[in-house]
Amino acid sequence: MEIPRSLARFLFAALVLLTVCGIPAWSQNQPTSMTSSQAAPAPNSLSLTAPLPVKDANPPAPEDLAKGDPGGTLTGTVNDVAVSDSKKGLTLGDALNQIGQNKVAINFVWTLVAGFLVMFMQAGFAIVETGLCRAKNANHTMMMNFMVYGFGLFAYWVCGFAFQMGGVGATANLGGTAPLNGEYVVNLFGKPFGIFGTHGFFLTQAGTYDVGVMVLFLFQMVFMDTATTIVTGAVAERWKYAAFAISTFFLGAITYPFFANWAWGGGWLSQLGANFGLGHGYCDFAGSGVVHAVGGLTGLAVAMMVGPRLGKYNRNGSPNAIPGHDLVLVLTGCFILAFGWFGFNPGSTLGASGNGALRIGSIAVNTMLAGCTGSFGALLYMWIRYGKPDASMSGNGLLAGLVAITAPSGFVNTICAAIIGLVAGILVCLSVEFFDRVAKVDDPVGAISVHGVNGLWGVISVGLFADGRSNYGGSWNGVSGSVTGLFYGDPGQLIAQLVGVATLLGFVFGASFVFNWIVDVVVGQRVSPESELAGLDIPEMGALGYPEFVLKAYRDQAPLGGIGATVGATT
Amino acid sequence: MKIVGVLLAVAGWLIPMLSLGFTSSNTARLILSLFGIAVSIFGILGVLNKSYLREAIWKR
Repeated sequence: MEIPRSLARFLFAALVLLTVCGIPAWSQNQPTSMTSSQAAPAPNSLSLTAPLPVKDANPPAPEDLAKGDPGGTLTGTVNDVAVSDSKKGLTLGDALNQIGQNKVAINFVWTLVAGFLVMFMQAGFAIVETGLCRAKNANHTMMMNFMVYGFGLFAYWVCGFAFQMGGVGATANLGGTAPLNGEYVVNLFGKPFGIFGTHGFFLTQAGTYDVGVMVLFLFQMVFMDTATTIVTGAVAERWKYAAFAISTFFLGAITYPFFANWAWGGGWLSQLGANFGLGHGYCDFAGSGVVHAVGGLTGLAVAMMVGPRLGKYNRNGSPNAIPGHDLVLVLTGCFILAFGWFGFNPGSTLGASGNGALRIGSIAVNTMLAGCTGSFGALLYMWIRYGKPDASMSGNGLLAGLVAITAPSGFVNTICAAIIGLVAGILVCLSVEFFDRVAKVDDPVGAISVHGVNGLWGVISVGLFADGRSNYGGSWNGVSGSVTGLFYGDPGQLIAQLVGVATLLGFVFGASFVFNWIVDVVVGQRVSPESELAGLDIPEMGALGYPEFVLKAYRDQAPLGGIGATVGATT
Repeated sequence: MKIVGVLLAVAGWLIPMLSLGFTSSNTARLILSLFGIAVSIFGILGVLNKSYLREAIWKR
C-alpha cells in the first residue's frame, strides 16, 4: 500500500526531529539487557553533514509535477530545501540552515511590508493637511508632503541612518545586522553614554552593504519621514518652500537621528535601566516620542518662529477660524493613516517569528482600540461643548489616539489601550484650544496638539500602564524581564519616561529652534504678505492646485501673476 | 529674551539628566524630572513664545 505523501513528509520531519532531540533521551531509557549492538548511538555521533535518506520522504516525481498541482499537496517539499553539496545531497545541517533562513525571511517580509504600509501614510498626511488648508495653498501643501519623502530619505541615507543606528548592534530578528557596531560613547557619572552611531554612512561604509541592514534602513527611514512630514502641517500656508526643504534636511540628518539613537540605537536614554536602575530605560515601542513628539515639537518651534497666518488673530488677540477646503480629503486621509498604522506599531517587532513577535496581533488590536476611543473622546467633547459632532476634530481625535498608543502598544493590554486613546482624544481638543486661544500659536492642522502633546502623553503612558506581561526574548534594553509601569509596580519606568520627555522638550525643541533660526536668518522662513494673501500656489510653486475654480474667485480681486495671468487672460 | 527661553528649555533637560548622577533616590529623580519638564515648558511657552507674541504680525 502506498504511503500518502503528506504522511511521508510528516514521518520524514519526525525523523529529523528525533535525530536532533530524541535519540539522546531515548538512549538513557533503554533497558540494561539490551546488547551493545542494539544500543542507540551516543549523542556525540550525531552528524550534521551525513546525507539524509531523502527518498523516504517520497518527494513528488517530475512527471507528477508536470501535471500541475491544484491542491497544493505537491508544492513545498523536501526538494525545496537548499542543499550545500549537490553530490552529497541533503544533510541535517542543510535542514537546520533552512530553518534559520526561513525565520529570518519571515521577519524580513513582515518588516518590509510593514514599512511599505508606513510609507503609504505619506499619502494620508498629504491629503489630511491639504484638506485642512485653503484651496489656494493646495499645490504648495501637497508638494511639501510629496517632496518631504525625497528630502528626508536623502538626508537619512547620507548620514541620518548612520547617526541613528550605526551602533545598534545585533538585531536578532533580522539575522544579526553585525556591521552596525560603531557607537560614539562618552563617560558620564562613570557610565557609558552612547551619543551617536558611526557606521553606515551612505549605507556602504563599514560593511553596511548588508541584507539585514537594508531592511532595517527602509523600516527606520519611513518612520523618520513621518516625523518630518508632521512639521509641514504646523507651518502650512505661510512657509517658504526653500526653507521647508532645508529644515527637513536638518531634521532627517541630525535632530531626529540623534534622539532616535538615544532611544532605539542603543544610546544613553535606552540604557537608563541598565545604568541607573530606572526600569527598562526609556521605552518607546514604535515612536510616540521618537517620531511624533519630535515632529510635533519641531513644528512648534517653527510655527512660533514663523508666526500666525494673516487674518488668524484680530487686533485684540481673539482667534478666527480658518476652515479647510475639503473635509472629504481630511477624513479619507485619516483612514489611510489608521491603515498605515498597522505597519507602524505591529511592524516595530521587526519580525513575526521569534523573540515575542507573535504579539503582533495584540499590538494591532491595541492600535485599533486606541484610535477608536480617541475618536470617541474628541467627538463627545466637541458634541457636548459646542453642540455638534465636529468632523475635523473627530479625525484629529482618531489620530491622537493612534499617536498616543504608539509608544505603549507593545507593552499594554486592551483596557489600558482604550483608556490611553480616550484620554488622547479629549487631550487633543483641550490642546488645540490652548494653542489657539492662550498660546496663540497658529497650527492649521493641529499637528502640535495631535503629535507633539499626544506624543508626550504616549511616552508617559508607558511609564504608567505597561503591564509586565509582554516578553520580547526575555529582556528589553538589556534589562531582563518585561516592561512594567507605575500602575503595575515599577515607578522607575515612569522616571525613565519623564527623562525622555525632558530630553524631547530640551534637546529636540532646542536643536530644532536653533537650526531653524539659522535658516530664518540665511533664507527666511516666512513668505511675503502678498504671497500669503494670494495663496502660495502661484508665488511659491508656479501653478495652481485647482486652476479652474480658484482663478474665478480671484479674477475680480487681485491681479494674477506668472502662469495665472496667462491662464486668466484666456478665461 | 528668545535666547533666555531656549536656554531655559535646555536647562529643563539638563536638570533630570544631572539628577541621574547626583542622587540614586527615585523620589528625588522623579521630583527633579518633573521640575525640569516644568522649567522647559516655562522657557518655551512662558518666555520664548511670549517674546514672539510681543512682535506678532496681528499687532502691527
